[in-house]
Amino acid sequence: MFRKLVSPLLVLLMACSMTTVMAEGTPITVTDMYEREITLEEPATRVVALSAADCEIICALGCEDALAGRGMYCDYPESIADVPAVQSGSETNIEEILALEPQIVIMSDMAQSEEQVKLLEDNGVKVVMTRNTDIEGAYDAIEMIGALLGRDAEAEAMVAGMRAAFEAIKANSEHAGKTVYFEVSPPEWGLYTAGTGTFMDEIAQMCGLTNAFADMEGWAFISEEQVLERNPDYIVSVSGMPDADMEIMEREGWGEVKAVVNGDVFNADADAFSRPGPRLKDAAESLYRFINDTDAQEEPAA
Amino acid sequence: MKTTDRFSRRGYALFVLALLAAMLLCICVGSVSIPLSNTLTALWNTLWRLPMPQGVSANIIVHVRLPRVLNVALVGASLSLCGAAMQGLLRNPLADGSTLGVSSGASLGAVIALVFGITIPGTDYGGVMLMAMAFAFGSLVLILTLAYALDRSLSTNSIILIGVIFSMFVSSAMSLLISMADEHVRSIAFWTMGSLSGTNFKQAALSAAALLICGSVLLRYARELNAFAIGEDNARHIGVNVRRVKLIILIVGSVMIGVCVSIGGTISFVGLVTPHMTRMIVGPNHRKLLPASLFSGAIFLLLADLVARTVLSPVELNIGVVTSLVGAVAFVAIFYRTRKAR
Repeated sequence: MFRKLVSPLLVLLMACSMTTVMAEGTPITVTDMYEREITLEEPATRVVALSAADCEIICALGCEDALAGRGMYCDYPESIADVPAVQSGSETNIEEILALEPQIVIMSDMAQSEEQVKLLEDNGVKVVMTRNTDIEGAYDAIEMIGALLGRDAEAEAMVAGMRAAFEAIKANSEHAGKTVYFEVSPPEWGLYTAGTGTFMDEIAQMCGLTNAFADMEGWAFISEEQVLERNPDYIVSVSGMPDADMEIMEREGWGEVKAVVNGDVFNADADAFSRPGPRLKDAAESLYRFINDTDAQEEPAA
Repeated sequence: MKTTDRFSRRGYALFVLALLAAMLLCICVGSVSIPLSNTLTALWNTLWRLPMPQGVSANIIVHVRLPRVLNVALVGASLSLCGAAMQGLLRNPLADGSTLGVSSGASLGAVIALVFGITIPGTDYGGVMLMAMAFAFGSLVLILTLAYALDRSLSTNSIILIGVIFSMFVSSAMSLLISMADEHVRSIAFWTMGSLSGTNFKQAALSAAALLICGSVLLRYARELNAFAIGEDNARHIGVNVRRVKLIILIVGSVMIGVCVSIGGTISFVGLVTPHMTRMIVGPNHRKLLPASLFSGAIFLLLADLVARTVLSPVELNIGVVTSLVGAVAFVAIFYRTRKAR
């Protein structure tokens, strides 16, 4: 409890100091995740963000108004639907972005080419790259985006809140040697799972679980027999399909898997689990609640 | 005369034995190693519907490996039989569902059915399967019409050229669909790469039925195919109804390819490689070649799937990766030989 109170206070203090700095009109300089330096005279007010996670961060910082455009797949929060959508990923359309006259474009290193980045910069748009492969990376992204938007305090608070939530989960979870298997896609399309070095793996560890496929690096197609053989205690579906848990419970040949026997199959919010943004906290808490059978209202006590 | 013309009993027995051996091998070996005795008990009890022993290994054998092995064998047999029949019909050693672009056409049909939610009420796979068949036939007609229009002799070069062009057209149509319907991207990747993981008994029953019906039709036309092998005119002169036979073989072939694609996606080169290997063993007579291709196709695909399942275990490869690797080499070898023969 104590920790929960302290961090907002700290943040508030920091916020006061920050705003004074801002008021003096010092230019903002950030280093993005590709070690590129970006300098702004003042906080950005017209931003295009291509990745869903970065959009979520911007909105969670209270800067939805600063969004001049969003990538096609940015769909959270719902109100974001009113923001003009642009192509992203391998279909990134530079003209479309330039037409929105943004000051900065925030993109993750998905499929944009160096030429595209250069083209944007030649047209006077500053490009900020994010690359989030772990939760620490998500913190960095939040702080960086906070700085660009002049919301350092809010960003600090958000990160502190996430840290506190994760710490609380960790403190309340015991490593009892239970295993979890994350199902990213069902056998129909080839079983696909998340190994080490993914957010899902980090969240599992937080909750005291061991990833059944900890020997895999990143994302991998795996064989169905391996899942049955490894016999996980929990199955978390992040396929984003409705009723994925029901389908797994009734899946032919899976009836003796521990998770299925005990009904420990969880249809998780795929977006929360896979987007390196503020909702990682929700993802971790939902898994914690699921394995500890607590009510939705109850939070892990700090 | 008949004994040399037909497939001898001993020949059949040998192929059946080889197929059974391959199936057994594929059931016994997998990503998870299971003691042979457990495997055989599970298999025995399934065959005679005895109560199953408890435990993971029985589940793996019965619900993962057995349906998959059946599906692989049936798809392999169907694709190979189709390939052999098409090569005979078109008198072209490189004709096959994948080189002609029929398989990619079928997968486009399947993807369209998925993206636009075309289903047949009361069936699980009906819509996808029907669209795959329709598109397989449509692409075959389109490809052959184009080929005939460009070059009446239907030479190897023009067939390959048109196959390449058509496959490119299909892949761009797929990209278009992908950008229109983002939620289906993952499943679209499945159709283009091909995999038989996660297949079930229901699908095996479907492809068994297709193979039984279409296969027996194709086998009945072995004599006509022999006549075609010498030349279309020759076939006509000895009383073959050329148009009818052609149409029937093409329709039946498209149905089989459509079923295979709707179950396993595009699995390239099976129909190209195995008839050639088989021809080396049993010779060019279609009365032997067709049934032999059926078995060797099943065996080839079983072994390819075994490699896909085990070589990087616990990671699984797409079966198309393995068949394309073998197939591309064979393709070049065959192409080289046919060019040299001229």
